[in-house]
Amino acid sequence: MAKIRKLSALALISALALSATGCAAGADGGQDSGGTLTYWSMWKEGEAQQKVLAAAIADFTAETGITVDVQWQGRDSVKKVVPTLNTNNVPDLIDSSFAKLAPVLATSGQARELTEAYASDVEGEKISDLIPDAYLADTDITREGEEVPWMLPYTLTSDAIWFNAATHPELESAPPKDWNAFLAELDTLKAANEVPLAIDGDVSGYNAYWYTAALVHITGPGAMKKIADDHSGKAWEGADAVKAAEAVQQLVDGGYFISGYNASKWPAQQQAWADNQAALLYNGTWIPTETASYAASDFQYSSFPFPTIDGDKQFSRADFIGFAVPVKAKNAENAQRFASFFLGKKYQDALGTDAKILPVRSDAATSPEVASVKKALEEADAFYVQNDGITLPGYAEKLLYPTIDQLVQGKLSAADFIAAMASGQADYWKQNS
Amino acid sequence: MTQTAVIPDVSVGRGARRASRGRGNAIDTARKKLFVPFVGPALLFYSVLFVAPSVYAIWISFHKWPGSGPMEFVGIGNYVELFGDKLFLQSFSNTLLLLFVVGIAVFAVSFGLTLVLRDMAGRKIARSVIFFPHLVNAMIFGVLAGFVLNPGGLVNTLLGWAGVADPPAWLATENLFPLIMVMLTWITTGYYTTILMAGVDRIPPYYYEDCALAGANAFQRLRYVILPLTWDVFGTCAVLWTISSVKIFEIIWIFGGSTGQGIPPTRTWSTAVYTYVTAFSGESIPAYGMASASAILSLALVSVLVVLLRRVMKRDAIEF
Repeated sequence: MAKIRKLSALALISALALSATGCAAGADGGQDSGGTLTYWSMWKEGEAQQKVLAAAIADFTAETGITVDVQWQGRDSVKKVVPTLNTNNVPDLIDSSFAKLAPVLATSGQARELTEAYASDVEGEKISDLIPDAYLADTDITREGEEVPWMLPYTLTSDAIWFNAATHPELESAPPKDWNAFLAELDTLKAANEVPLAIDGDVSGYNAYWYTAALVHITGPGAMKKIADDHSGKAWEGADAVKAAEAVQQLVDGGYFISGYNASKWPAQQQAWADNQAALLYNGTWIPTETASYAASDFQYSSFPFPTIDGDKQFSRADFIGFAVPVKAKNAENAQRFASFFLGKKYQDALGTDAKILPVRSDAATSPEVASVKKALEEADAFYVQNDGITLPGYAEKLLYPTIDQLVQGKLSAADFIAAMASGQADYWKQNS
Repeated sequence: MTQTAVIPDVSVGRGARRASRGRGNAIDTARKKLFVPFVGPALLFYSVLFVAPSVYAIWISFHKWPGSGPMEFVGIGNYVELFGDKLFLQSFSNTLLLLFVVGIAVFAVSFGLTLVLRDMAGRKIARSVIFFPHLVNAMIFGVLAGFVLNPGGLVNTLLGWAGVADPPAWLATENLFPLIMVMLTWITTGYYTTILMAGVDRIPPYYYEDCALAGANAFQRLRYVILPLTWDVFGTCAVLWTISSVKIFEIIWIFGGSTGQGIPPTRTWSTAVYTYVTAFSGESIPAYGMASASAILSLALVSVLVVLLRRVMKRDAIEF
């Protein structure tokens, strides 16, 4: 019996120890002395963006006395935040792209209105004045019925049609403005025995850029989101959606895409482009950084915006990356204080010049590689976001991406694509309503 | 060795239990007393870390839930939706293809190799070489596939030298899943060869001598000696493969998913990939209820298959 008692005691002790560690973790996160904040970052240690943030954190602590407990989580940071949202142990501050934050934080009501952050000022300028109004007008970072956005962007990603200005100076001086001029340019390139367009066709997101951009440039931002909300799927048969599909089909039929684009693995084709084996690449603002290590010598990054299709309105993609504060954050005030602190000119300049991304402040410095994109953003009539802001569960991954893949890879004609989307969407809503 | 050690132990246990019903003895009473302290902690940890989360997953699967905030009870709605979802059915059939087609290929090749390697010179080295692919992270194969099979990759370059002007589009969406199956067979074969060989090595040499004396040919030796004496090893391997094949994820993710750049094409999805994308795609509202339902169905599939397999493979253990 003594043995049994000993063993049961052992079991009990281990169980207690286990629960104690749980409690300890809880108590740790619960410190509410006003002097700390926990920040889970989407950047990884060693990245240029991380270095800028680390410097800002050091300055912030020196200035305010608030210690920042930062964890460099990497791109999956938001996925890791989700399970914590059901506990009382959430990070006070997180950052990621709008496309990742919106579905898990905003739609489920887990993001705080950043009232204090937007009302505060940095270096004498009010935060709300530093974010260009045009961005706020078009993007969904304020929830319905709320006054203040739930997200404070500090940088944004956009896209452009990239080329090497050293080999194609003519594209820099006279870029094609509208769709017909663009097709004519592709023909010219083809006639000169060049491959007009590179694309990594295995990355659905990249294929989807073409269709989304075409549709938005015909109907305007929000067009695709509206179509996706139609439970019958019939909205896909509308003239604009068809026209956008036909525009993409023109690219396939014209044979403008690099050979093998539908049977390669990223980054094969963008490498080919950076090696001057193709003239143009439609991709995001990260391309100069991402391809720098394998680009041909003397490669000069330049770009022009996606051409207009119907009318002369120029729309630019503006996907924010920024801070959000969960509703349950215990140090929400400190979190917002740091978020606005990071919009200081010094850090915005560093993001532009060191990390070579686009800072959200219009007065911040940018690197020469993305100067053409910044110009396009300044001249844009309106803005749209990735997938045109569709966050419906599984819609993009299970319906939109696979179908656009087939359109871009030439396996579906424009008409078949429309039919597939219409019936697929009807099925989708049958299952999800 | 473990087998021979365990089998008599079990029979003693059975005998003792039967005996205790009659009169009970000191050893049995002591054994009974030790049951709780020995099994208790393991059971506790197992329940807390595995059973409870599984039960919770079943509970979640009856709800619509984006991962945080309120849960909306939908009953078996998620399961009904899953069976109406063409993509899920396709993922499910892909899982079955992996389980059966790759499984049969792996066992056929492993068994063949075992027979060849049994009395080959330098078989230890050969065994290590065959086992090697299993040690390598699936990530490497994903990256390697790009190098080897891209339009300008190694294979097409070689084919070009051989005069093939129009090589197949190896990495086209429709070719990816067959490629994954081939790759998986290659990766897994070494693992099962090693286990099967351990079983074959266990067979005492005098049985083979006996065969030689009796004039048995290679097939008869296989039929009357090797198969019966390695049957339990086969059974275990079949169960191991069933369990691991239903969970196959990373090779599909990396082979089609461009090494972390987005999601693999839907045609290559298995139920594990379907579950993951439904819960964690990162680009749309997570559907944890649906993902849990899909995971529970996979668990049910494994359970049913394992029980069936155990039934089919059941033989009396042969002691030797």
